[in-house]
Amino acid sequence: MNFKYVSFLFLFFTSLIFAQKTEYNSLSISDSLKENANAVIRLNQIEILISSQRNMNVITKRVVTVLNEKGLDAIDAVENYDKRTTIRNIETTVYDAFGKEIKKFKRKDFKDQSAVGGSTLFSDNRYLYLDYTPIQYPFTIVFNSEIETSTTAFIPEWYPLNSYFVSVEKSILNVKYPDNLGFKKMEFNFSNFNIEKTLDTSTNLSYTATNILAQKQEDYSPVVNTIFPKLMMGLELFHLEGVDGYAKTWKEFGQWYSDKILLGTIDLPDETKMKVKALVGDEKDPIKKAKLIYNFVQQKVRYISIQVGIGGWKPMLASDVDRLGYGDCKALTNYTKALLDVVNVPSYYTILYGDRKKLNIQSEFVSMQGNHVILSIPNGDNYTWLECTSQDDPFGYQGIFTDDRKVLVIKPEGGEIVRTKLYEDKGNTQISKGSYTLTANGDFSGKITIVSGGSQYSQKASIENLQPTEKEAHYKDYWGHINNLKINKMSFSNDKDKINLTENLAVEAVKYGSFTSNKLIFAVNAFNKTNAYVKRIRNRKNSLEIQRGFFDEDDVNVILPTGFSVEYLPANYELSSKFGTYKTEIIKIDSSNVVYKRTLFIKKGLYSNEEYEEYRLFVEQISKNDNAKIILTPNL
Amino acid sequence: MKIIKLTALLIPVLFVTEANSQNFELGKVSNKELLEKFHPEDTTAVAAVLFKKAKTIFKYNLSRGFTVNHEYTYRIKIYKKEGLSWANFEVPHYVGYEDMNDESVKFSNVVTYNIEDGTVVKTKLNGEGSFKKNVNEYWNLATIAMPNVKVGSVIEFKYILKSENIVKFPVYDNQYDIPINYSEYITEIPEFFIYKPVLTGYVKVKSDSKFVNGSQSYEDQYKRTTNLSYKQINSSYITENIPAIKEEDYVDNIRNYRSSIQNELERTRFPEQPVKDYSITWEGVAKTIFENENFGKEINEQLYLIQDIKMILKNAVSNEEKLDIIFKFVQSKMNWNKENGYFTEKGVKQAYLDKTGNVAEINFILIAMLKLAGINANPVLISTVEHGVPAFPNRTVFNYVIAAADLDGKQILLDATHKYTTQNILPLNVLNWTGRLLKQDGTSQEVNLVPTMLSKVNYTLMTKFNNLGHITGKFRVQKMAYEAYSFREKNARQNEENYLEKLENNLEGILITDYSVENRDTDLSKPVIETFTFTSENHCEIIGGKMFIDPLLFFTLKKNPFVQEKRQMPIYFGYPKQEKYNINLEIPEGYLVESIPKSIKIATEDNVILFLINTQVEGNKIQIIITKEINASILSAEYYDDLKSFFQKIIDKQNEKIVLKKIEP
Repeated sequence: MNFKYVSFLFLFFTSLIFAQKTEYNSLSISDSLKENANAVIRLNQIEILISSQRNMNVITKRVVTVLNEKGLDAIDAVENYDKRTTIRNIETTVYDAFGKEIKKFKRKDFKDQSAVGGSTLFSDNRYLYLDYTPIQYPFTIVFNSEIETSTTAFIPEWYPLNSYFVSVEKSILNVKYPDNLGFKKMEFNFSNFNIEKTLDTSTNLSYTATNILAQKQEDYSPVVNTIFPKLMMGLELFHLEGVDGYAKTWKEFGQWYSDKILLGTIDLPDETKMKVKALVGDEKDPIKKAKLIYNFVQQKVRYISIQVGIGGWKPMLASDVDRLGYGDCKALTNYTKALLDVVNVPSYYTILYGDRKKLNIQSEFVSMQGNHVILSIPNGDNYTWLECTSQDDPFGYQGIFTDDRKVLVIKPEGGEIVRTKLYEDKGNTQISKGSYTLTANGDFSGKITIVSGGSQYSQKASIENLQPTEKEAHYKDYWGHINNLKINKMSFSNDKDKINLTENLAVEAVKYGSFTSNKLIFAVNAFNKTNAYVKRIRNRKNSLEIQRGFFDEDDVNVILPTGFSVEYLPANYELSSKFGTYKTEIIKIDSSNVVYKRTLFIKKGLYSNEEYEEYRLFVEQISKNDNAKIILTPNL
Repeated sequence: MKIIKLTALLIPVLFVTEANSQNFELGKVSNKELLEKFHPEDTTAVAAVLFKKAKTIFKYNLSRGFTVNHEYTYRIKIYKKEGLSWANFEVPHYVGYEDMNDESVKFSNVVTYNIEDGTVVKTKLNGEGSFKKNVNEYWNLATIAMPNVKVGSVIEFKYILKSENIVKFPVYDNQYDIPINYSEYITEIPEFFIYKPVLTGYVKVKSDSKFVNGSQSYEDQYKRTTNLSYKQINSSYITENIPAIKEEDYVDNIRNYRSSIQNELERTRFPEQPVKDYSITWEGVAKTIFENENFGKEINEQLYLIQDIKMILKNAVSNEEKLDIIFKFVQSKMNWNKENGYFTEKGVKQAYLDKTGNVAEINFILIAMLKLAGINANPVLISTVEHGVPAFPNRTVFNYVIAAADLDGKQILLDATHKYTTQNILPLNVLNWTGRLLKQDGTSQEVNLVPTMLSKVNYTLMTKFNNLGHITGKFRVQKMAYEAYSFREKNARQNEENYLEKLENNLEGILITDYSVENRDTDLSKPVIETFTFTSENHCEIIGGKMFIDPLLFFTLKKNPFVQEKRQMPIYFGYPKQEKYNINLEIPEGYLVESIPKSIKIATEDNVILFLINTQVEGNKIQIIITKEINASILSAEYYDDLKSFFQKIIDKQNEKIVLKKIEP
């Protein structure tokens, strides 16, 4: 035993003596950095060299110790390239736990892959990546790369920490730039982390971040953007795919965008112009005109993703969309705008982040941002927003993909930051009315009408277009607590003016109620059990965010079987907290009729990490009471 | 003679052509097709293939010899918005051949038809709607985005896929998730090539073949046009009204059940040359594979292992011990690069040096080591679940290889690519029908891969309720065979705190303390044992002064996994499984048991699916013993109704509560 111990020590010593790369030794990592970590970024050093408005080099050296299989993604040995970006150097070296070199990979060992995938039919972008099979854990990998690009419109954002379950020992950023290009920067969420600005002159900027512990992903957390530290950088004089740009303000940025990127893309053939004018006829109201045009677009085009033209920033010509009947978000938005121009309705190309989480354009930092485009039409003091990629969305409806966030509206006179529509908590409704009958065997049959509005509309509207088998599967999952569920009838009506989706269903299920020693027991709330299961999280760290509130109301008549009397009726229940209110009433009308009423109102809001447990308990109380049961005893 | 044999393999149905009055030529779209609002047979269809025709023909050229052209034509009707995705069409083609030119795809006759104000409007695709993309070093992708397509449109297009690969034709898909009204596949094969056509799926295909004269001209070495005449076999496969095939849960691989036609080369027989066998029988397959230098030669390579084997077997005596040591050695030393295949790539020696390799390299090293140690071991070719069922003998049915060792006549299957496999416990996607064991002498035999042994899980719970309905208790679970393997694969590399968080939530929010686990990463042949203490406030309802307890506590099955009304495909479980629960409850003082679910057995006639519950009360103690068994890896669709009602009965039974009432003072 002793002998083994000695030889181990000996090995350790020899490697210390002979290996050159002792800093890559995995054994020296502190315990705190290993906690919750699948990988440790030992060093992430990024040098950004901007030599002119049309030239930027980014040199990366990243040293990552991977502790287990789940940490492999942290290596991130990949670089993108396209027509304007070349990879000048890319290579890695792998070291074992003691820092001894075990393998080297040169550029030729990297795989070359097109970035086309998923729904994208075409894109110029490609990438080189390394597909490494580890032979032991832990190991340390050193990744070196250099890229050169003429695009200076995007300076890579600096993320000292960029993923969960990964800790960072050291992250360094050095930026060099000429003093005449208007270099600017902005820090986000730095305060909770150990980040030091080491240099800040008219031509140089440096930061060092040290010892950032691994973070755990937690449900109901605010968007990562507001948690992880981030440095945004930009130039007032920039370059994008052959086009120079200058912008100090959003106004100037918008102007440049209008002039250089959008100009000349909205011509339409005369035939189409005439068709559209005929379609609008004598209508004078701009919003009513826009509605006719939007409907025309929805019938005519389909969405496909094609990333070409100024790095995917220039929309396809409106005349091409007109002829081909397809395009991506830029093309379809621009096409709709072109049609609206024909009938003299002003509208603006609008850039934003399309996401179920509400992501803002960083309004304080003027730069190229966003991943999606919609159209805005001035409507009094407000705007009407059009999602032009959808063939189903109601006119002006934003759902949960573009609602309540800061966006950039591009007007000919310049850009403007505006906030999109907020769907008020109380307006995100689901109103259910119905009844069900229970037989003496415990069998169930019922009818329900569910009307959903506001942001709840967008969750329901897609059901209407599902295949019958998928619809059935949806309801069997939605009412998963009702076993043996059979759907006898379903019909929908979609009121796109009021933005209401109505579901009408007739269902049945044998043995909904169960017998225990002759007594028939069943849960009175059959149609709307809360499905928001909030997990218990040990040592919650992040704040709690409820992004959208909602209001549910249920009114259900329960018809009891004859030959039974009610032994137990759950008491009325009310629960109120900062998160919302919940109320149920169970009213016995007569020996065979009971009315069940339920309201649930959840508010949107941002709360501290300690309040998460309170929220969990709040929801747990609701879900317990949603399970309240009636007990019936057979009459003798 | 051989021709006769070939036609005998097919189901000869004559006089099938010319039966249809519809026009299956491109460019002749009828008003009826354009005006049709929904599919007459399947009103829910979002689109339909009105016809699909394909033809495979051979071309001869002096420098490259015979090559093949596959021509496809389609006419598709769009009925609903959701069907618009059919207006984009992609054809992947292979460009990774070492000794052949890249495949190429060329689209033509791409037209969209619409009715606008009562007249038919044709829109042709220009260059901008056609894309070529080099995806990676092996694959290119040709894509078209059809112009001006909306609900109601009819689209047509044609493409030719040119290939020098005559060994295997692209699979002809004869069924989609939308209906196909008419499908026709024709092959015209010169007599020098014998192919085996393989038809899969439930759809009835009418096939026919004829022996006719064929010829073609080519330029000889003096640039003169020369004629080449031969006999050829023309085969046709015609299917009408093919229903859409839909995804279902619990399916191993939908491709096993979808209609398709595959052709693989069996042999070539050129004039004045010996007949060359590619496959035909399993023996033929075995022989060709063994003769490939990336198989036979590699598997027999041994020298590089001699030193290591001596060292690791220094103290080993019995063959059992040797096998155990060698397997664990290869399993821990070698690291799988996630590449399948039964041929080596960089070779076993390099793989051994690198400590990484594909499936063939790792398991060949294992086989070579076993042989060196005097244990008889052979490769077993396998088709993984994703690859489909290896129904007919040919080479491309396989994509994976494992080892079979023979210990005193007992066969032990081994796969050293995964870190948690053990003797006869293989990765779950390897458990697919049968494999083919290849012996050195060129013979082969079938090996059953589907586990027949039950993988067991035993739960033991000692719990106590207090008068508030809160439970405290001790929990112990033992997982064996594939249950242990699955647990290790999923959880062994997981941080314990994260695992416990998940476990607590899976067990309906109980609180876990004093967790310990045995044999998780070591002693893989032993069961995994987890024990912990728990508390819960959620597993008892107090209604009107009485306590209602779910007899299975947090194990109560809430949802029937089988909800779909009709079933098309067999139901796949992976391996036979038995769960046993031994739950002991101590009731609070001052209470007594008013009622308790009765003992019951629910089973199918053949006991393939079985559920047993036994309940017993003794003083203040309740014991519940439950056994649940699905003694099959895959069940035919006929079992579906039984299976569905079986789970329903279990749920109904579990919903019966234990009721406790207060003892009257």
